[in-house]
Amino acid sequence: MLEFITSFLSTPAFIIGLIALVGLLALRKSASAVVKGTLKTILGFMILQAGAGIIVQSLLTFSTMFQDAFGLHGVVAEDNAIAAAVQTVLGFETSLILVFGFLINVLLARVTPLKYIFLTGHMMFSMAATIAITLDQMGVSGWLAIGIGSVIQGLASVVFPALAQPFVRKVTGNDNVALGFYGSSLIWLSGWIGGKLGNLPGGRTRVQRPLKTTEDIQISEKWDFLKEMSVLMSMVMVIVFAVTAAFTSPDVLTEVSGGKPVAIMVLTQALTFVVGILILLQGVRMFLGELVPAFKGFSEKIVPGAKPALDIPVFYSFAPNATTIGFLMALIGGTLATVVSGFLSVVVLPSVIGLFFMGAAAGVFGNAYGGRRGAIIAGFLLGFLFQFIVALAYPLIGLGDYGIVGLWFASPDAILVVALMRAVGLLFGV
Amino acid sequence: MKIITTCGMGFGTSLMLLMELQSIGAKHGITIDGEALDISSVHGQNCDAIFGSSEIVKSLEGIAVPVVGIKNILDKAEIEAKLLELVKSTEPGKE
Repeated sequence: MLEFITSFLSTPAFIIGLIALVGLLALRKSASAVVKGTLKTILGFMILQAGAGIIVQSLLTFSTMFQDAFGLHGVVAEDNAIAAAVQTVLGFETSLILVFGFLINVLLARVTPLKYIFLTGHMMFSMAATIAITLDQMGVSGWLAIGIGSVIQGLASVVFPALAQPFVRKVTGNDNVALGFYGSSLIWLSGWIGGKLGNLPGGRTRVQRPLKTTEDIQISEKWDFLKEMSVLMSMVMVIVFAVTAAFTSPDVLTEVSGGKPVAIMVLTQALTFVVGILILLQGVRMFLGELVPAFKGFSEKIVPGAKPALDIPVFYSFAPNATTIGFLMALIGGTLATVVSGFLSVVVLPSVIGLFFMGAAAGVFGNAYGGRRGAIIAGFLLGFLFQFIVALAYPLIGLGDYGIVGLWFASPDAILVVALMRAVGLLFGV
Repeated sequence: MKIITTCGMGFGTSLMLLMELQSIGAKHGITIDGEALDISSVHGQNCDAIFGSSEIVKSLEGIAVPVVGIKNILDKAEIEAKLLELVKSTEPGKE
């Protein structure tokens, strides 16, 4: 019996399912809703892990090629894939940090002036995993890790939205919602700096002219296809794989392609990576579709009138054109960072998801502070800094211990948390 | 009625929009069953309508059911007005 319980609790999908079950029962849902919700949560979680498996496999091939071609490690910055891939080792810690972190968030919103409820589920999940990994590398595990981790997670859930709130007010013109996205600090910083630089008097006159907003520009609809993640990511990954293959020695190419034509191998491997991401996201969708509404319902009962901290795309509607400009500039900035990071310890490859969602947001924030030029500069800065920070912070955590190569953390706020935890660890000699 | 909400990823903005629609629906006695999906997955889904931000749904073509674009996804009044308009146009005489 004990063996069964231990085995049950070390299967992360069941823990998360159990949490959903308890939550749904506590919310007094109907029997059918309880069964459906619990099963969908478990299935979603298992799909998520299957996706991570595919991503890790595809990156193994890629890393072999990349190392042979350039003599360096190459990484894609993507949090959810890492979070999913470590679940077999740190699933227990991650799930409980996610839940207790949320409860601490609700408590903090109830008793402190920081009335934010963090509701972006995939960010809660990846932050919980990031904290669990960092603690594990510092030699802290089990219930102690869950205790410390939940406090950090709870604090992050209110502190980052609070820091972003002045900038959110500037963009939205009201104070009803907050930003619940662990790229927030880099987004508002890029937006603010972009705005300052965009406002600098250009040329002879020092007279302040009204800002030219991005929203007066006509952007051709033929660029709209780039708004579909899967399309864009496929294109970028095929290019990244192809360029790497071009520099890889024939011996290694034969080895990884298993005798197939190299072009076919490049296409299938690059697209397999994208497939892995798509499966992963399907899993995220399925288990969050059950958890987030439960969290929302619970928090509304305990802290009426709290500000929901929401995912970044809800802010895109304040300047849709700026999102396109910000993202394209971020892609340029990110590509430059890829080149520059070659001189550091690791090459950070263009990481489409981060560039896409944060770049677009930097465009919106930059536009609010400094019009068109603000949006352009903010997008570029974000793309460059996002990947450059990953290159700088890379030595902080070795994911190789968990069998993960070719991936590293993406969210700037989470990386900041990792750095702070490491710094505190140094004080205690761990 | 069954409504699909959509956004880039299918679990952030779209899930919030779905919960918003459900709570507005509950207020008016309309039961909304639905699902949040990414923009690539909405084609061929069986539903009564698709909701999303104006930006994201403008790339949808050839959808048989009504597609409703929300300009400001944080504006409850806009969501409410558009939902009620949809209900009126799709279910004449009912309720």
